[in-house]
Amino acid sequence: MGGALGTSVDIILNSLVLGGVFLIVAIGLNIIYGLSRVMNLAHGSLYAFGAYAGYTLVSLGLNFFVALLVAPLIIAVVGVVIERVIISPVRKRSIVYTLILTYGLMFFLDGLIKYFWGNEPRFIELPAFLRQTVPIAGTHYPVFRLATLFITALTMIGLMLFLGKTKVGLILRAASSIPEMVSCLGINMTYVHVGAFALGCFLAGIAGVIAGPLYTIDPIMGHEMLLSSFVVIVIGGLGSLRGAVLAALLIGVVQTLTEFFITDLAMVIVYMMMAVILAFMPRGLLGEGRFE
Amino acid sequence: MLALDTGAKGKRFLGIAALLVVVACLALFPFVVTNRFYISLVNEMLIYGLLAMSLDVLLGYTGLLSFMHNAYMGVGAYTVGLFLIHVSPSSVWLAGLAGIVVTLLIALPVGWVQVRTGGLAFALLTLAFGMMFYTIVWKWYDLTGGDDGLMGVPQPDISLGGISLGSSGDPTSMYLFTLFMVLIAFLLTWRIIHSPFGAVLEAIRENEERASFVGINVRRYKLYGWMYACMLASVSGGLFILYRGYIGPTTMSAFAGAGVLMMVLLGGMGTLWGPIVGAGIFLFMQDYISTMTEHWELFVGLVVILLVLFMPRGFAGLGDYVMRFKKG
Repeated sequence: MGGALGTSVDIILNSLVLGGVFLIVAIGLNIIYGLSRVMNLAHGSLYAFGAYAGYTLVSLGLNFFVALLVAPLIIAVVGVVIERVIISPVRKRSIVYTLILTYGLMFFLDGLIKYFWGNEPRFIELPAFLRQTVPIAGTHYPVFRLATLFITALTMIGLMLFLGKTKVGLILRAASSIPEMVSCLGINMTYVHVGAFALGCFLAGIAGVIAGPLYTIDPIMGHEMLLSSFVVIVIGGLGSLRGAVLAALLIGVVQTLTEFFITDLAMVIVYMMMAVILAFMPRGLLGEGRFE
Repeated sequence: MLALDTGAKGKRFLGIAALLVVVACLALFPFVVTNRFYISLVNEMLIYGLLAMSLDVLLGYTGLLSFMHNAYMGVGAYTVGLFLIHVSPSSVWLAGLAGIVVTLLIALPVGWVQVRTGGLAFALLTLAFGMMFYTIVWKWYDLTGGDDGLMGVPQPDISLGGISLGSSGDPTSMYLFTLFMVLIAFLLTWRIIHSPFGAVLEAIRENEERASFVGINVRRYKLYGWMYACMLASVSGGLFILYRGYIGPTTMSAFAGAGVLMMVLLGGMGTLWGPIVGAGIFLFMQDYISTMTEHWELFVGLVVILLVLFMPRGFAGLGDYVMRFKKG
């Protein structure tokens, strides 16, 4: 529409939006992994669950922003239940078991979603002012996408302050590097594990609700997101929060660009890039386990 | 010492006897039960059993998790199918060889990247690469037929050591051919697992760090294990396309991959025969339950969860569970 400048602004903002959604999901996955050494393969399905919960709440007449708070809380509760009932009994066994377990959980949750909401795509109804567009540098950009950027930034700042400035955050950071020591200091590690799941699932819920109006809500949306967030955390370094930020932005840019120019095989290009990066840096860009 | 020796020998003798009995029963099966449906079902069980066994070489013996081992079965099947369509409609063995070569050429760089990362990233990468192959097969309409699948694959005559078995489209001849190939693959894998090479793989599973301290090149052996497992998967893919005459991209989907994983879990990791039994149970259940409910996905997920929680050693560990239960 608005020539080369408009198109490039579009691409830049779109990659930021996409990278932002990747980031929230991937950070949640990384927090769970960093704190409880469980790679939650059901994370994508929890994200989809968040989107469906948001859809149901909004269609019941709730304000979108209230839904943005309530739906993640529901997912957090689901996360706590999952941790207590399914994950904690196998925590002591090899990591292969938790991987297979959460893989089974993924299909179980997908099955539940199909059972309750069916296969047809859904759309979250936005309030009027979010549906408009604003003119920026030669293009008309949807307000909701800008709001998404704002929500992403707010979530990340909130998370940073929580981990960096509060006492609970301090305990969590300590628990990610030396869990034995934290446990010796009289802190119940069960709470840390439960807290990690609650926090990670809360983030997945937020991402689900904001992704609802951006893309369509369907039962397989979780699979694509799971794979993308894997790519993000593997490239960034498992458990490394800063690495995830870097990798999410990188993947957001690459995927938006390839979708713009090649469309069909965007994910293939992203996987190729991941393979090349890992061939030279097997531990990811920033190495494993930096929880800050 | 002497008593121990005869004990081990006796156990081995029992194992060989059991194998002979099972193979004899399976070989006689199509002549006793002449219903084409059941012959095809057992045929499919054997093909998936081979795939599950190859995954068990990775999961149960090397300790590496591959979420989408069916992707390599798919690569093998598509290659064999395309070879039969475009190159030569009658050379079964050449087509199978082409399938193995192409699968290995793809598995080598993928495996090379995967073994360089840690055990967890390895598992995540198998999922990412598997999804990549799935997407390529799904979108590359001109070559693979995309969503419609690869149709019109010729079903050539098969012969074993000069004895012609007839067309692969005939259930009984295809069944006997599958049984023969699975038996060869089983014996070969058994031999490899019980060789020093197999011991190295098990050492890596038990403790990677210690294995590297005694001078084992862990990455190289993981790669060998990976290549071998992918080769077997490719063979199962070749059998699959000969038997079906058709393959669609859903065979390579993540959900189908979870099914293969479940076969291994059902049968029991770390035993070669367990996963084959698991494949049999799985396909039987799938056949039975998917006719009753459309929520097969929900069921698979639930069974995987319950298996890991309560029966991590699967069917092969059943005797132990009973013993433990009796002791209280």
